Amino acid sequence: MAQNRSVSITGFGIVSAIGVGKQETLDSLLSNRTGIGRLKYLKTVHTEFPVGEVKLSDEEMERILGIAPGTPATRTALMGMLALHEALSDACLGRGDLLQAAFLNGTTVGGMDKSEQYYTDFIENDTRNEYIKSHDCGSCSEMTADRFGRFRYITTISTACSSAANAIALGGDMIRAGRADIVVAGGSECITKFHLNGFNSLMILDRELCRPFDATRAGLNLGEGAAYLVLESDESVRKRGVKPIALLSGYGNACDAYHQTASSPDGEGAYLAMSRALADAGLAPADIDYVNAHGTGTPNNDVSESQAMIRLFGENMPPVSSVKSMTGHTTSASGSVEAAICILALRNGFVPVNYGWTNPMDDGIVPNMELKPSCRLRNILCNAFGFGGNDSSLILTATD
Amino acid sequence: MLQESRVNVLSVKQISIQKPLTEEWMTNPEIHTESFVRAIDPDFRQFISAGDARRLGKLLKRALATSLSALHEGGITNPDAIITGTGFGSVESTELFLEAMIRDGEQMLKPTWFMQSTHNTASSLIAIHTQSYGYNSTYTQKGLSFECALYDAWLQFGLDRISSALVGGHDEMTPEFAGFMRKAGHLLEGEICSEAAVSALLSTREQEGTKALCTVAGVEILDSPDAETLDHAVRSMIAGNIPDAVMTGMSGNATNDGYYHFLKKSLPEVPLLRYKHLFGVNFSSSAIAFYAAANCLGKGFIPPVLTLTGESVSCSKGILLINAVEGRHYSVILLKPLCGKL
Repeated sequence: MAQNRSVSITGFGIVSAIGVGKQETLDSLLSNRTGIGRLKYLKTVHTEFPVGEVKLSDEEMERILGIAPGTPATRTALMGMLALHEALSDACLGRGDLLQAAFLNGTTVGGMDKSEQYYTDFIENDTRNEYIKSHDCGSCSEMTADRFGRFRYITTISTACSSAANAIALGGDMIRAGRADIVVAGGSECITKFHLNGFNSLMILDRELCRPFDATRAGLNLGEGAAYLVLESDESVRKRGVKPIALLSGYGNACDAYHQTASSPDGEGAYLAMSRALADAGLAPADIDYVNAHGTGTPNNDVSESQAMIRLFGENMPPVSSVKSMTGHTTSASGSVEAAICILALRNGFVPVNYGWTNPMDDGIVPNMELKPSCRLRNILCNAFGFGGNDSSLILTATD
Repeated sequence: MLQESRVNVLSVKQISIQKPLTEEWMTNPEIHTESFVRAIDPDFRQFISAGDARRLGKLLKRALATSLSALHEGGITNPDAIITGTGFGSVESTELFLEAMIRDGEQMLKPTWFMQSTHNTASSLIAIHTQSYGYNSTYTQKGLSFECALYDAWLQFGLDRISSALVGGHDEMTPEFAGFMRKAGHLLEGEICSEAAVSALLSTREQEGTKALCTVAGVEILDSPDAETLDHAVRSMIAGNIPDAVMTGMSGNATNDGYYHFLKKSLPEVPLLRYKHLFGVNFSSSAIAFYAAANCLGKGFIPPVLTLTGESVSCSKGILLINAVEGRHYSVILLKPLCGKL
């Protein structure tokens, strides 16, 4: 039962503070290199907050992508294009293949980087109207996809920090239901002044490097990035003669139904999302070899998620880590950025380290602090939780 | 692979520029001539506390009111899934936060505005209010956001994961964003910029003591289809059964209305319907189309205010809904009357 419900992953692409592309990302993970540092690209007065910026300016990304200067492009779309390009090449997909494929994109800020810059122009004159067009999230997905051709179906999922995870789950559903043979799913999100200030107004940004699951943790560091997975039906895999690199074997979505911006103390939503993912994959908790936690570093999330994991795994806690102390919290993209990191872990046999952790919490899990090279991982549970209690979990499984 | 269970529409409720939470517009519509019209709100105190009524933005209040009202009429307290479509999300909160940040600098900003600005606030607020721990998601794809939400619900029903879903389409508008809609070309000459909140309760079961309005027989969404693909999508959706009418997004603007010309070839004899002259245009307009068609099927007739000829049409076979966004994205939805009703 579990076997034939699995969906093949035949390629992926990733961009984040720890690297542009899979190789740089893998190198950073294997050498414990954080991408978090002082602000460089975003124009804001809040230079006191460390961030995980992608180490390229918009202009540099445009140059890499071969986009003519002056062509309207938002940072979220540019990062999305870099990741989408890598994913499509990795899966050997060309323009013709996209005509029957779906593009499912997770984002919440959309074109806000330009809107906050040109808002006065939007109202007072007509010089920046091209960026009004790219303000909404749906346009951002179209801008990203159109660079590579036309897909049969495009949609945008916006469930805050679980957006990309839900995009991947929807992709799995479309393939299982026979509504698509090839789905490119994930998310993209750049740091904006809008949500940096929003998170600051909620007092959940740490002025130091973030420390997920540490007793002294004081909040998150914002990150940015994009990642897309190519999901494919068995029939399409056979027909195209491609080799799956991993499997999406299950996923779960739940609502914590507790508070708009806080998680419940017992982590009910997180527990339900993880349990549903296991049930969907036909797996038991003991089958999980590593949990890539949501682990933002906020006092609230890490207690709530720990409680949910303790409830689910009991005495047999698998290795757990959050990579957000290296990438920063890539918000809407985190679900796919971290799923991509999980695929790297499966393919290269290592458990990522929870960088920056020293002090155990009274009521939390103890994260993995040793790289554990050359270990065999079979199933990874990857969590992405969002504001509003939009909690989702994915299970990624190694191919034999 | 999709299962065969019938997806019933138990109830659909609206708040729009017509009288809220009623189908009075079918016989006695409000006529609007201004270029920007805000929704007519009901008394929210029948649904939410006075505190919530003060604290929550318009989109959220309307989403709660239409949702609670649809749940009440359909006899379900906790739907298995809550899925919302919104093109812009809570633009009022977004605008307040953005303007304060630009005007007063990046200090002392109100967290409430930020919290309410994210698109998924409606789905999660409904879940918190009804204590629903089930599937919860939010879609945002311009004028196609509602159909994307409906499409997900359709998949979840098909995979037998849920037996009920609350599917919404919610967009509010401010004078600034109404201006942006025009500048960005989302709103064309002659079209009324408006607001809409629609909540539809779907279920594979019929609740005791309640009667469904109609069933959803198919949902398809296509990006950039060629003429042949589009014609094929329509034909395979109706499967040889010519519907009573086609609900279109025709607005009186020639460019927009041109996107529906293919229907003259695909379904030459079928009367075309319109609703945007009564409800205006916003990113959740297509949710209004669904609401109007479902209620027509529930009543067994299409009122003259929706037809191009000004004559009423009886409905016994179903209504096909076509939404064309910018001549690029098309959605095709088929609603059918309940079996054995005739």
